[in-house]
Amino acid sequence: MESLLLSAIIFIPFFTALIASILRLSYTKLRSFSIASSLIVFGLVLFLAMQYDPHGGMQFVRTVDWIKNYGISYHLGVDTLSLVLLLLVSLLMPLLYLYMWHENRKGYWYNMLLLQSGITGTILSLDLILFYLFWEMMLLPIYIMIGRYGNGKRQYNANKLLLMTMLGSMSMLFSILYLGYTHFEVNGFWTYSFEDLSVLTFTPSIAIWVASGFLLAFAIKIPLFGFHTWMAPAYGSSPTPAVVILSAIMAKLGIYGIWRFGYTLFEEILVRYSYHIIILALIGLVYYAIVAITQSSLRRMFAYASGSHLSLITLGLFFANIYSWGGSLYFIITHALASAGIFLMIGLLYKRTNTIRIKDLGGIASQAPLFAVFFTFFALSIAGVPGTGGFVAELLIIIGAFKYDLWIGIATASTMLLAMLYTFWMLQRTLFGAVGLATQGFKDLSKKEIVMLLPLTILLLITGIAPSLFIPFIEPWITITLETISQNIGGL
Amino acid sequence: MILLSFIVLIPFLSALILGVIYLYDPNKPREKLYATIGVTAPAISATIALVIEAKLLSMDASTVFHYTLFEWIHIGKFQIELAFMADRLTAVMLFFITFIGTLIHLYASGYMKGDSGYGKFFSYFNLFMGSMLLLVLADNPIIMFIGWELVGLSSYLLISFYHQEYANVTAGNKAFILNRIGDFGFIIGLVVLFISLEGYGYTFEAIEANIGLIDHPTLTIIAILLFVGAMGKSAQIPLFVWLPDAMAGPTPVSALIHAATMVTAGVYMVARFSFLYNDTPDIGEFIAIIGASTALLGAIIASFQNDIKKILAYSTMSQLGYMFIAVGLGAYSSGIFHVFTHAFFKALLFMGAGAIIIALHHEQNIYKMGSLKNKLPWVFIPMLIATLAISGIPPFAGFFSKDAILITAYSSEHYTIWAMGTITAFLTAYYMFRLLFVVFLAPSIRDHKVEPLANSMIVPLIILAVGSATAGLLGIPEALGGSNLFASFVALPDKPLHILHSTEYYLSALNVALALLGTALAYKLFVRRIHEPLNNSVWRYVVVNKFYIDEIYTFFIVKPLLLLSKFLLYFVDGKIINNIINLTVYSYARMGITFASFQNGKVRYYAFYILVGVSFISTSMLILLGGF
Repeated sequence: MESLLLSAIIFIPFFTALIASILRLSYTKLRSFSIASSLIVFGLVLFLAMQYDPHGGMQFVRTVDWIKNYGISYHLGVDTLSLVLLLLVSLLMPLLYLYMWHENRKGYWYNMLLLQSGITGTILSLDLILFYLFWEMMLLPIYIMIGRYGNGKRQYNANKLLLMTMLGSMSMLFSILYLGYTHFEVNGFWTYSFEDLSVLTFTPSIAIWVASGFLLAFAIKIPLFGFHTWMAPAYGSSPTPAVVILSAIMAKLGIYGIWRFGYTLFEEILVRYSYHIIILALIGLVYYAIVAITQSSLRRMFAYASGSHLSLITLGLFFANIYSWGGSLYFIITHALASAGIFLMIGLLYKRTNTIRIKDLGGIASQAPLFAVFFTFFALSIAGVPGTGGFVAELLIIIGAFKYDLWIGIATASTMLLAMLYTFWMLQRTLFGAVGLATQGFKDLSKKEIVMLLPLTILLLITGIAPSLFIPFIEPWITITLETISQNIGGL
Repeated sequence: MILLSFIVLIPFLSALILGVIYLYDPNKPREKLYATIGVTAPAISATIALVIEAKLLSMDASTVFHYTLFEWIHIGKFQIELAFMADRLTAVMLFFITFIGTLIHLYASGYMKGDSGYGKFFSYFNLFMGSMLLLVLADNPIIMFIGWELVGLSSYLLISFYHQEYANVTAGNKAFILNRIGDFGFIIGLVVLFISLEGYGYTFEAIEANIGLIDHPTLTIIAILLFVGAMGKSAQIPLFVWLPDAMAGPTPVSALIHAATMVTAGVYMVARFSFLYNDTPDIGEFIAIIGASTALLGAIIASFQNDIKKILAYSTMSQLGYMFIAVGLGAYSSGIFHVFTHAFFKALLFMGAGAIIIALHHEQNIYKMGSLKNKLPWVFIPMLIATLAISGIPPFAGFFSKDAILITAYSSEHYTIWAMGTITAFLTAYYMFRLLFVVFLAPSIRDHKVEPLANSMIVPLIILAVGSATAGLLGIPEALGGSNLFASFVALPDKPLHILHSTEYYLSALNVALALLGTALAYKLFVRRIHEPLNNSVWRYVVVNKFYIDEIYTFFIVKPLLLLSKFLLYFVDGKIINNIINLTVYSYARMGITFASFQNGKVRYYAFYILVGVSFISTSMLILLGGF
């Protein structure tokens, strides 16, 4: 049973979609199916989390040969890093389904089901070819969601997203194939399991090309500065469920990729060139935040905000010490919760007003106090106000930054200031002041909507008030991983 | 001492309960319920605080109470507990925060009557109390910082309380953002401090024990950075511009947060880190200079304002400047003593102002008030006492605390600072009595219909008036035959002073004389004035517009930032980066078009391709086979 657990988590949504499409279910039945599948998956993930031993390294490993001639295998496993992401996805899906309750376009539901399988597959794969496969598989539903159900220049923006992401995927595929081939040359047999491949050593001039192949894919996904032009258009055109997944989960998969594969396959390169990536991420951190200030649409504003914070998570990753890694992993959790919350609320706002142009809003707080409270709460969580998990994460990353270097530390800490600038002005124009044309008769949150937002709120509060409940869960993995890297390259 | 945690948790809990009840049905009038919960919570905290203060008073000066709620975070060597600590410094802060806080809550229950956001107000107000108490009771800098940020947040919520008015929210934003600039420095300072002492523990006591391990340059940097935090929170130059705008909030908020408690957090923080500032006297001097400049600037602007709350706001800024002179020069107990006395008379002044504003249906211009002495006697008498206190007329509270600060400046040979402080003292008496005379004594053009005031508003005024009259007696210096009970109670590591009693007498006499002179000048100029003075000179114009500092900030910081944001979006993002990427796509498409044109269905083209192909192949074969 346990050996099938991970496969079940990956494929339940996929088969739900398959069966539903064969049975040609109506949207209400499809909805029940989807929700049931998401709840079962959530239950299984919780079960998995309870069985999981934080000190135990890679667990629930399952390897089945797939294409034996080339050493490609169906190779799954879970460790703290993937478990954190897994928990987040499986928590968000039921909430998104709740959001989609009245959605009668069936394609929406199918795409979401496939998306979940793609994402969980990406998170759990330990074979690089399998990883690549799922990595591409999660892109397609997003592409369709934006291109078909989005708004604005949806097809153009979807194409832009697709092309840029594919560019990264292609370069990653080249690197993967090169790794597999080299392994064959050196050791005489094919394999794509990343643990086997991590023993390969390259001369620096080759290693940097291999690493770049991967990094390009991850940099576009995050996106780091310079690789970001797909971000704001895609976020702006996405339907709400897709934008929640984009910001809360998919952007983090770029970070995940660097963490999982970067720090095992070519850790030496990453450590040697960390300074360059840190500078790039710092530029992103500041640049996105400044651009966010004058955005005219809520979604685009939070797209840039999201970019800024993902740059911060990347920074934490490259400072490579226990505080910054703790902070980055913690930020993955809290940012996913907060950005899911804010993008869901922007969706609710759009349902009510048919606009997300900040200029048209205003005066919501005086008509819908509950809405205003939740909205402010999520916005403040994103800005990292104490009492919310975002603060803890930012604090840890900042400590890590100062441990790395004083000036880099100061630059990193500027995130505290920058986030204020766009958050508060946005809150003012959206929630306060006189009632705008679009916001007249703005309805407050319904019970269903509160149920949808409450889990996120409570988790953000708990992560902020008592981080000690979560840190022991993530710390052992960080300590072990850092030690391994340090041993492999002879000191960080 | 589990009681310590109750002091903090009860207001938080009450804020939560109030918030939930309010949100459950915002429109239901439940003022009694809200007021009961909202006032009881700080009252309980105040009672518990009294118990703790009594215990501390009866015990040795070095006694410290501790209570750990739980471990907040532990990762690597970063171990922070959500723990509380009460020493004597804390006890002083606790006393006036909870005592005056409770009175202002009581006052607010009358002041906010009829407001649709009554429940929301008390929820925020209690949230503030909890945060402020967390700040002063924290046993380590990180928890203190959390309280520090949360008071900023509640201040933001309360300043923008009337959020239908767009300008009020702007004021709230301004307060929060300027505070965050300070906090940015503060958190950097704290993190550098942590990194320097990594592994030695990070409670105040552990830091104090190991401070010697940090080299002097680093210590200097830390001292400056921490003070940047204080500049923001305590409205010092150059981060003071938020404080006057913060008056957009309801008046009880101005009384509690922007006069008595939150703004003094910076002074408390410096006193809390006295062991650090004693090792960095240069930074101390810098703090004192900033303090003196702020004191003078605040007093000058206050002398030309017409809005009663703005006058008091600038006055607060000016008095905060005094406190920083004291802590900067190492006279921590004098600084905290001024925090203590100031809390009484400034809270009282604001509450009096609030009472007038309510009585006159939200009129805030002092020149539209006038001859209210007989109409509002129970506001006039307390405000008179508070005015005497702030002006430094003996034996009222402000005299002793302000005198101690000026004597410190003089005896430590900082004569410029002393002179600035002394001029400020003169101006203080001038602008405060100007306010008092114009509002209560000067003839009024119109006959005001005065709204009757609730007892819940008047009683706190009287209690605070008693405090303003007598709190100073706790700190009678030796030269005047006392033994400075206050300083010996708080037991802070003050730098020793060397001054003759005779010099002290001269200085005190000078201060009193200047205060009386200021009063007399105000009397002469304003007791009969009916109309607003005209802004008929450049000098007046500049001062009335607060030296255009807001405009300067807007022009040099805010506008460029917005422009930069647009520039980055439209030019860097839109033109440069996007075009590089689109160029790739474009050239790819171009390539496709070019190649497609080869296949155009015309026979002569195809014949040409065949010709080229055949000649290419035959040439290469010839070369390869060695035909040439």
